[in-house]
Amino acid sequence: MSPIDSPAIVLDAVSKSYGEVRAADEVSISIGRGEFFGLLGPNGAGKTTLIEMIEGLRLPDTGTITVLGMAPAPRNLDLLPRIGVQTQRSAFFTRLTAREHLVTVAALYGLPPATAEKALDLVGLTDSGNVRVTRISGGQRQRLAIASTLVHDPEVVFLDEPTAALDPEARRDLGQMLRNLKAIGKTIVYTTHHLDEAQTLCDRVAILSAGRVLALDSPRELIARSGIGTRLVIPAGRLSPEQAGTLDGVNGVAVEDGMLVLRTAHAARVLAALDGAADLDDVETRPATLEDVYLELIGAPQA
Amino acid sequence: MSAYAALSRAVYKAAVRDATTVFFTFAFPLIFLVIFALIFRNQEVADTGRGYVDYIAPGVLSWGLANAALFGVAFTLMQWRNDDLLRIIRLSPTSIWSVIGSRYVVALGIGAAQCVLFVGVAMLPVFGMRPDPTWPLAIPIMLLAVTAFLALGLIVGSAANTPEAVAAIANCVVVPMAFLSGSFYPLELMPTWLQEVSRVLPMRYVNDGITYAFTGFGTMTDYLISCAALVVFTAVFAVVGVRTFRWSNDS
Repeated sequence: MSPIDSPAIVLDAVSKSYGEVRAADEVSISIGRGEFFGLLGPNGAGKTTLIEMIEGLRLPDTGTITVLGMAPAPRNLDLLPRIGVQTQRSAFFTRLTAREHLVTVAALYGLPPATAEKALDLVGLTDSGNVRVTRISGGQRQRLAIASTLVHDPEVVFLDEPTAALDPEARRDLGQMLRNLKAIGKTIVYTTHHLDEAQTLCDRVAILSAGRVLALDSPRELIARSGIGTRLVIPAGRLSPEQAGTLDGVNGVAVEDGMLVLRTAHAARVLAALDGAADLDDVETRPATLEDVYLELIGAPQA
Repeated sequence: MSAYAALSRAVYKAAVRDATTVFFTFAFPLIFLVIFALIFRNQEVADTGRGYVDYIAPGVLSWGLANAALFGVAFTLMQWRNDDLLRIIRLSPTSIWSVIGSRYVVALGIGAAQCVLFVGVAMLPVFGMRPDPTWPLAIPIMLLAVTAFLALGLIVGSAANTPEAVAAIANCVVVPMAFLSGSFYPLELMPTWLQEVSRVLPMRYVNDGITYAFTGFGTMTDYLISCAALVVFTAVFAVVGVRTFRWSNDS
């Protein structure tokens, strides 16, 4: 296998405990080069511990970790320039402007100020370059944090909840930026609580709970395998729950908030059967989402 | 630009852009000078023909240097750790020595600027300080003072997790030390046992050394002992500082 085909990150049976708490329990994951990989899970599931072990900031108790074919810990000076890490808190040099901050970060990698300019441009912050880091808006802070992560053009990028606390428009812009990163071939590992976003952005996701990998696959595959199927929502009164239960392809019927909800793995067949019984324009089709899969796995009550 | 130069610039800009830092570093010691000058106005120290300002100014300057070096590095370290900047540095190929070195060179520059401003003001006719021709001896002691208190600041910056804690700990260290070392009040007027206590305090040696340089009070041997003592204090503080150093608050 040539280096370019070898995986970017390999975790082999990685475990880590803090006292009684298992932060990572026999985690094995292989992340390919150029892959957009999502780590999902509730708070305390072990996402941050896992990422910090991959970054070399923490040592696993057992198991091995390889990043770009190298061991990340102890502090590996050959590896560090090839990875970029965005921290959860936005870390900026005190009382500097956005541009000065990036020039300083670039210098940490031995790079000239021009690289900082490129990073500013990449995240669309050129016009705000002379604004103090304390005065820029939330969305711009997040962009600046990502620019700090990308200033040295790393091959593997770690983003910890990059879209948390952003308004919808800023989230959409950032989502586009992340797609662009993937398009230029970066390997991206990111954590998020926005499952809709993970579903559209990620090639594959791992769902973690209590340090264990509960599921690991592409969102599409996870949804298909879950058997949750599609939900068809019909205004109540158009047909009775009993009638609905007899329709071809319907697996389950429920009444929620005055609406009749049909569960099916074959939406088209059910819709055909419904034709005539109810006005199809009133029927809302809701395909299963990654969020449905996630909630079923994590065990939260389903919405 | 090297990481060292870039970090030095970042630290320098953070310092001069903060009005509070500038005030406490440069204006605060001058306010003390004014207060003491008013208290000891027109008094001469018996048998020397010198004004009190010649003895008080070196003491206040010692305190000002120690205070700025300790607070400055303690705040920077606490802030950089809290803001995850230390993590960013750790995840880059830059060595921790560049970080400490950059903070050190800025502290030395600030110390030199403090000395020039303070002595310049003290020499104005209204205060009337007259430095001896041995004044260049103040330069090595100034450098050693900044070094020792920077090392002490590393310990404070590792112990404290909030700006309030830095201020509280640093004040508890510096203010009693300034009084016990004779920075504000001549040691000779204190009980003998308190004079002995001052021997374990680094500021006493800063005080002795700077006083000797500016007024010739004491002997060359005392001056050299002061320099040596500060080297020892620096070594001890540096060892403790390295041992207590933390990259982040949660490890």
